[in-house]
Amino acid sequence: MSFDEVFDVIVIGGGHAGCEAASAASRLGSRTALVTMNLDLIGQMSCNPAIGGIAKGHLVREIDALGGVMGRVADRAGIQFRLLNRSRGRAVQSPRAQADRALYRKDMRKTLEGSPNLQLRQGTVVDLVISLGRIAGIELQDGRRFGSMAVVIATGTFLNGVVHTGRQTYNAGRAGEPSSIELAEALKRLGFPVGRLKTGTPPRLDGRTVEWSAFEPQPPDEVPVPFSFATDEILQPQLACYVGFTSPNVHEAIRQNLHMSPLYSGKIKGIGPRYCPSIEDKVVKFADKNRHQLFLEPEGHDTNEVYLNGFSTSLPAELQQELVRLIPGLEEVRIIRPGYAIEYDFVDPRELGSDLQTTRVSGLFHAGQINGTTGYEEAACQGLIAGINAALAAQSRPSFRLRRDESYIGVLIDDLVTQGVDEPYRVFTSRAENRLSLRYDNADERLEPYGRGIGLVGDSDWERFNQRRDRIARLGKILEGTRVKRSDPAYAAISSKLGVDLGDSVTLAQLGKRTGVGVDIIRSVLPAEKVPGITDSEIESGLADSLYAGYIEAQRLNVQRLHQHDSLRIRPDFSFRGLSGLSHEMVERFERARPQNFGDARRIPGLTPAALSMLLVHLSAHQQAA
Amino acid sequence: MDTIVALGTPAGRSAIGVIRLSGPDSLSIVRSIVGDNHFKPAPSRSVLRSIRSNASDSILDRALLTYFPAPNSYTGDDVVEISCHGSPVIVRQVVDLTLRLGARPAGPGEFTLRALSNGKLNLSQAEAIRDLINAQTEAAAQQALGQMMGELSSRLRGPQQELIQTIVQLESALEFVEDDLPGLRKQNIAGELAGVATVLLSLASTFEVGHLLRDGLRVTFVGRPNVGKSSLFNKLLAVERAIVTEVPGTTRDTLTERISLGGVPITLTDTAGVRDSTDRIESKGVERTRQAMAEADLLVVVIDGSEDLRAEDSSVLSLASSVRHVIAINKSDVPSFDILEKSRSSFVTRTVNVSAVTGSGLDTLRAAILEPFGSVDSSNAGFLITDARHYDLLLRARAEVQASVDLLKGGASEELVLVGLYNGLRFLGQITGETTNDEILSQIFATFCIGK
Repeated sequence: MSFDEVFDVIVIGGGHAGCEAASAASRLGSRTALVTMNLDLIGQMSCNPAIGGIAKGHLVREIDALGGVMGRVADRAGIQFRLLNRSRGRAVQSPRAQADRALYRKDMRKTLEGSPNLQLRQGTVVDLVISLGRIAGIELQDGRRFGSMAVVIATGTFLNGVVHTGRQTYNAGRAGEPSSIELAEALKRLGFPVGRLKTGTPPRLDGRTVEWSAFEPQPPDEVPVPFSFATDEILQPQLACYVGFTSPNVHEAIRQNLHMSPLYSGKIKGIGPRYCPSIEDKVVKFADKNRHQLFLEPEGHDTNEVYLNGFSTSLPAELQQELVRLIPGLEEVRIIRPGYAIEYDFVDPRELGSDLQTTRVSGLFHAGQINGTTGYEEAACQGLIAGINAALAAQSRPSFRLRRDESYIGVLIDDLVTQGVDEPYRVFTSRAENRLSLRYDNADERLEPYGRGIGLVGDSDWERFNQRRDRIARLGKILEGTRVKRSDPAYAAISSKLGVDLGDSVTLAQLGKRTGVGVDIIRSVLPAEKVPGITDSEIESGLADSLYAGYIEAQRLNVQRLHQHDSLRIRPDFSFRGLSGLSHEMVERFERARPQNFGDARRIPGLTPAALSMLLVHLSAHQQAA
Repeated sequence: MDTIVALGTPAGRSAIGVIRLSGPDSLSIVRSIVGDNHFKPAPSRSVLRSIRSNASDSILDRALLTYFPAPNSYTGDDVVEISCHGSPVIVRQVVDLTLRLGARPAGPGEFTLRALSNGKLNLSQAEAIRDLINAQTEAAAQQALGQMMGELSSRLRGPQQELIQTIVQLESALEFVEDDLPGLRKQNIAGELAGVATVLLSLASTFEVGHLLRDGLRVTFVGRPNVGKSSLFNKLLAVERAIVTEVPGTTRDTLTERISLGGVPITLTDTAGVRDSTDRIESKGVERTRQAMAEADLLVVVIDGSEDLRAEDSSVLSLASSVRHVIAINKSDVPSFDILEKSRSSFVTRTVNVSAVTGSGLDTLRAAILEPFGSVDSSNAGFLITDARHYDLLLRARAEVQASVDLLKGGASEELVLVGLYNGLRFLGQITGETTNDEILSQIFATFCIGK
């Protein structure tokens, strides 16, 4: 086979998944090519100009701990940082930032170009080259052929993308960019099961035509919490976002024009995300709400463009202009880019192993929206795992996989490859059984050793990590071992501040578990000379470790007791009919759900405990025999 | 690995009940119930010991204990077998005792599973045991259990929905901080959850009686001599089982027969009349009467309605006052019966007028025997938990929900409050089938307009 160029790893797509994949593979020493249709749009945020949020911020921290790039780039391009859920427990707090869209792109491009093993190539991939069931390379529209040991497909919404605004429909991967039709056909030819999903985006406004005083400003945090463990300071000037609401007039106008919406006329067949509904959906499904919340988000320092978050729509462009002018404060507004809906192909992620390699074609990896997910962070973390594994495969090293109980990335990938998707998949903290252990602030403790082991965490980051970990560990011992006694000068102040009697003496760890005790109180009694250089955020991490420890241990015991057999595998050809004595109904329930292991079977609704125990006895018996 | 317990012999009355403990704490639990911290019998040797619920209490039973240290036991764990007397009351008390000390009721087939995972059984042995489990599942008795399960599931639907709704509210507040959601009313939520905990507790508390109904009731006739206990006993049995004469003290030993009342198995015992007697055989009988009274689930105190109450009647009544009992006022066919009616109006317990001669009032007496067991708690409308596993799961679920209520009141963050709610839901799910994360997410999106 003749190739114009030969690489170890090829990444198709320059979005958030593609960037992480290309960066990771190249930094692991693989000669890597990032092939994308338009090199000027690397790292483009196709939808809202924001990174992070609940659970998504956890993902970014995990990416950072493993040695990925998203957190660092977002820290350099972030123009409004906020730590969400500040009033709640540490486990459910999460960083979020608005980003300067252009700056993010520029910084990501620069970051990738800083990687010596990485080549950028512009072009449209039309086919995969397969040899003996293994990936061998790709073919471009212009006739070039590149060879490689591994290929990562990270094509986002471009696979057979179709954009809808009102009755207008055209092929596109994003507004104004061509879609990838041949590659989608190539995947189908290989036998991959393909489905259709839908997502949407709101109109972008000219900020000079907004009546800002009609909106409530949402200021940035005074002290920004960055995404990357390596970031000491946020340098971009910080801006406010603005909050407003729709009005009954807007809703009425939408209702009258529903027939113009491709969502309601039946033109759109793809399934959209329930947690990110269009404004049409909001008005129809929650008809009793007389207003819906909107956010006006600046797109960057050097632009007037404003993102109207919460107003995703596929109504006709000229109608969008009329509708937004019904919103209080937007009476004079001009739309710069109309909103639209986009339908695209995704490949059933049950085709993948937990290393994100397809089982159908060895050496081929899928990452991002092609797997049915939504969100930059979800895409980036898959890109990172796929990029790592593509490089490891090219170097004949064993694959890298994360478990559910140690990371949100593990939860996400496990959900995808075992359950599949029936709507665009987004991460939620409630999807993680071990939510209390998976904190944004301990992502480094959980994952940085892996990143170091793989080879993505450099010496200075590793040094910084070790110092931080040691300080927190030392603090933990001090919290357990230091007591505040009634005779101590600080005792009375703390006791009166909390409005409770603390007893004759209390350890700092016990004190830290009380509602209302924060870093300031702990600092007032902490022998700080024993942990020189400890930061407030490290103290908070130490307090969270001690707060959650009891719950985590109880949960571990519970899981051990209830779910000790969950991992027993059920072969795909297992015959439930062969389980003698099972009622017809129970057999049907098993067969409909086709569980892959006992844990899946346990979650099938309507099974009797007797039926489950029969299955369990059978599975255990065969496992012992095997 | 925790320690599981189950009755190894069929439920219901039998000569001996074998309770089997399997797991690392088996021996320490047995040490507690025999009150000997160094108790360690030689492997596979039976030792006779007294069982007490705690050191100061009277003896529950004398039982044979056999210790099978790991790995030389059926399951491969540390196993202790307790062979006690077969009365359901005793068996239940001993099992309850082990539960209080940390054991957990075994799930269906769980002993076999442990044997399998410890490599004590091979494949064909396990298959054989599986067929055994199947055979039991097919049995008619299990159908009744199945119906009961359906009923229990439908009664748990309310509490379960309440838990899910609360989870939906708390999760939404956590997960969608930037959305325009209604604020949490934590006081209301705490109140609703406390209500759930109460319902679960009240369902669980029906187990005490439910257990008795399933395993059968021991109903014992007592009274002073010659009030007609044996005649009533015969009437209820519908055979001449007991010898009846006019001579007081004819019944000198206890007599036991089984009948079924409204589907409930009943062991009926006739006793010697209670009086101070110099006759040695009779006084031996009276001693047995006292023993039978102690073991009964319900006493039928028989008095002679045609005569004034005697001191002996009063002493029987006072003996019976501390336990469940009904009073059967016999001889309603005798003319003097009606005249004395008024003098008996001071009885606080349920009384039934009967005649062992004509049979009048017998149906009322049958109903009165079951009455204390049928309407323990009117809110549960006669529904009773009979399965120890369900009882255990309900109590565990309730404890988890209660913990969440306490956290809510203490101002804890939602992710901590949610731990108990999910655990509670999971325990109920062991009875009704599990609630998946997807179902909860669907509820969230159906309840709130999410989507910044």
